[in-house]
Amino acid sequence: MSFRTKVFLSIAATAVLAVWIVAAVVSTLVTQSFERRDAQRTAALVSQFQREFDRRGAEVARRIEAVADSDAVQRMALNLTGQADTSSYFTLAQTLAQEQSLDFLELVSPDASIISSAEWPARFGYKEYWLTPAIDWKSQKFFLKKEDLADGQALGLITVRTVKAGDGMLYVAGGRRLDQEFLDSLPGAEAMKVQLYRNFEPLPPPESLGSKLASSLVQDVRQQPREVTRVNSDATITAIPLLGRDSQLLAILLIENSRAELAGLKKYIQETAAIVGAAGVLLGLFLSFWTASRVTRPLRSLASSVREVALGKWDTRATVSSSDEIGQLARDFNGMTEQLVEQRDRMIQAERVAAWRELARRLAHELKNPLFPLQITIENLQRARDASPEQFDEVFRESTSTLLAELGHLKIIIGRFSDFAKMPAPQLEPVDINEIAREVLQLFEAQLHAPGSPVVETKLMLGADVGALPADPEQLRRALRNLVLNALDAMPSGGQLTVSTSRSDSKIAVEVSDTGEGLTPEECNRLFTPYYTTKQHGTGLGLAIVQSVVSDHKGTITVRSEPGKGATFRIELKVGSS
Amino acid sequence: MKRPVWVWLALSSLAVAPASAATRPHYGGSLTVELSTWIPVDSTTSALSIPITETLVRFNARGGIEPGLSVAWQRDADLKRWRFSLRPKVTFHDGEPLNGATTAPSLLAALKKKYSDVSIQTGGQAIVIQSSEAMPDLLRDLAAPSATVFRSSVANPLIGTGPFRIAAWEPGRRLAVVAFEDYWGGRPYLDSVTVGLVAGQARADIFEIPFGLTRRILPEGIAIWSSAPRTLVAITSASVQPALLQALALLIDRAPIVNVLAQRKGEAAFSLLPQWLTGYAFLFQTSPDLSRAKQLVAQVHPGPISLSYPVNDVFLRSVAERVALNARDAGITIQPTTSALNNPGGNLRLIEWRINSEDPATELVRIAAELGAGHVDTGKPETLYEAERSLLERVIPLVHLRETYGIAPRVRFEPSKSDSFALHLEDAWVQP
Repeated sequence: MSFRTKVFLSIAATAVLAVWIVAAVVSTLVTQSFERRDAQRTAALVSQFQREFDRRGAEVARRIEAVADSDAVQRMALNLTGQADTSSYFTLAQTLAQEQSLDFLELVSPDASIISSAEWPARFGYKEYWLTPAIDWKSQKFFLKKEDLADGQALGLITVRTVKAGDGMLYVAGGRRLDQEFLDSLPGAEAMKVQLYRNFEPLPPPESLGSKLASSLVQDVRQQPREVTRVNSDATITAIPLLGRDSQLLAILLIENSRAELAGLKKYIQETAAIVGAAGVLLGLFLSFWTASRVTRPLRSLASSVREVALGKWDTRATVSSSDEIGQLARDFNGMTEQLVEQRDRMIQAERVAAWRELARRLAHELKNPLFPLQITIENLQRARDASPEQFDEVFRESTSTLLAELGHLKIIIGRFSDFAKMPAPQLEPVDINEIAREVLQLFEAQLHAPGSPVVETKLMLGADVGALPADPEQLRRALRNLVLNALDAMPSGGQLTVSTSRSDSKIAVEVSDTGEGLTPEECNRLFTPYYTTKQHGTGLGLAIVQSVVSDHKGTITVRSEPGKGATFRIELKVGSS
Repeated sequence: MKRPVWVWLALSSLAVAPASAATRPHYGGSLTVELSTWIPVDSTTSALSIPITETLVRFNARGGIEPGLSVAWQRDADLKRWRFSLRPKVTFHDGEPLNGATTAPSLLAALKKKYSDVSIQTGGQAIVIQSSEAMPDLLRDLAAPSATVFRSSVANPLIGTGPFRIAAWEPGRRLAVVAFEDYWGGRPYLDSVTVGLVAGQARADIFEIPFGLTRRILPEGIAIWSSAPRTLVAITSASVQPALLQALALLIDRAPIVNVLAQRKGEAAFSLLPQWLTGYAFLFQTSPDLSRAKQLVAQVHPGPISLSYPVNDVFLRSVAERVALNARDAGITIQPTTSALNNPGGNLRLIEWRINSEDPATELVRIAAELGAGHVDTGKPETLYEAERSLLERVIPLVHLRETYGIAPRVRFEPSKSDSFALHLEDAWVQP
């Protein structure tokens, strides 16, 4: 993950988290505030309901008393003796109810028969036995009662009064409806949803009560009449049981405070938080770019400089654009590369000195051997001319012969060094590496089979699909010759020489293996150093020449060996890149 | 047909209204009438008779046919050709003489409703009615209110031969009639009669007392005249099973309907035609049997039933509600609903049938026709009874209602011509 991405994620996460926390806190506070308000409104409405209930009840009681005291009812009571004909009073209750604005009014004879009914005129003659027990109706101001109607049932706020009629009582029972219209008239009801579930009706489906919550609330209150408040995501609903004269549950008042306003506000908060969060993310994006431009650009510049150095451009310098930690890092990097260049120069200088010393040592060693016989021969000539002139001629012949031989030897040594110094650029042409390998081994056939030479078994393993590659055939022959020569030198007591070729992808490999004494790891490391040799009479140029040839062909040469297990030199050449 | 009950009712009801024998009839004066529901001027379906038109023949007090505008008639053996001799010296209200030519058009229109190929030939003071089919009931048909003889003009759509002629007519609001000086039976006592549609005012000389208007609020001195029961309130079935209809007939308590809803202005009805008209109606009388009704209901398992009643009819609405209440006691749900005039609707219908004549056969035939019951054999009282019993499988009679009128003290009637079927204003006069 890039630094810029990390910066972006950090800023964005911080912004989103902060906004979310603020939104959650605000949302919680708003919810609590709304719930407090709903509770206050509900309590106010319940109080208002109770006051209005009492007021209307008192009004109903007053109106029923007016009916009972009316001349018509008093005359009727006087006529209710014996088997009086009450048919002429059939419509009286309707008239009186209309006069007193009552929804319910029944005039009931002492034997509980309905004489006249305003709410259900056809019900005359039916019995109202609930009126006739010895009850002091005057003490019961008003009460809730289920009223039977022609088209169903209704809930009424009822008052009963009695009028003396002969030996019995004429009952005047009536009142007003307690219905949705009554609830809607309550101050404050318009801000809430106030419903009246009448318990003598089948439980309506949830949709008619507005919600499943209201429906379940009604069911609970029906099972155990008590005030209950419940909350869900849509509303806060309070259910209040309304009891009748005998404490039977007649109705349930449902006061519902919609949480739509709260939900809207919370939604607004969430949307605002989302917008602010998105702005934070955008800000994070901007800041990450800005920070990256301020922080990662010098770092990337520094990283680029590091890669340049790694590629060998030791004089690369990082741009120091600030005085902060990154600027200090760039300065340190530049100091480091300067030190590396100095050290490299010193190493090159040291290596050059070492190489010259080695060359001098090797030249001295190589030249000292033939020079010593030359010096001895010349001194021998001088002594022969002074001590025995008669033998001088013979000694002269022998000495000149020796001198010529040693001079020839010197010439060979100088030629080798000259060859190494004059290594030419390869002349590339398609070369069959298998053919080269066969030719080189063939060069050594005579030497291997010469009398007295150690027994060396040769093995040629050529890959069938090796093919050709662009190379300088003479230089390849020379390199292979040197490797084979090295291998033969490594097996003075005989062994097995294996030359193999193979191809993998775009590379052709040539391996020369021996079964000699092998090399130590340290010897392996120094093996390709010019003038380094493990042989008593070697110049140390053979493997250096091999490495030079391989390097000129853009190839690689490696060696793997363990002491006592022989050594294998492997040359890998690219088929198409030479 | 003998009608002892009819006679008793007539005598008892007239005891309160008619003038004393010592009071002499007096010509002149105007009479005002208030009706609660409008009665079409071309119909004599009301117990309040203000005769403007007349028929060729009419029912007498014994139920027989007597001459009207026709003084004599003959028929052929197969009852397909009838010849009527018109009463001489009879004129219409516009002075046109009554003869075959002026009589035939209205008669032919009325008879065509029953006899499709009937034709009328006229010649002077005679008309011949003939048809390809036998017309055994032609005299009853001609005595029916629908067979009145009248003429029409642009100015006056109803020109009759009766004792009163129309002076002013505002349909649905007011009718003013004046005495027809040239009436062949003699000028009526009253100079004029004005009929208005005013419910419950009780200010006129004669006013209808609706069912909801009880005696206790009537002005002092008002005499009450009640007709013989001549309106049947009944329930007809449109799509109710016979067993359920039988259960309803058993469970409905008719006494409260008569005593309270009708304010005793009627009789509990168990037959289509009232006792005074047939003499056998008591044979259908039963008592409410709720347990038997519940048994029948248990067999039927009825769903909710609608009972329709005419819109704006307060009395029938209260009857429907009472029936629904009774039905609920037996576990039947009846929903009273209003019905339009042109679309009765409902599983059950609450209807009123007015008895327009004093001939039971005529009335039963008419009721059978309205029920779609086909031919009714009215030849003998036994067949008439059987026919009515058959019709009762489709109808639940509830109450036979009387028409009741309040009559001011100054109004007097000629006692010898009074009956309980109708209150004849042509026999009334007012004290000066």
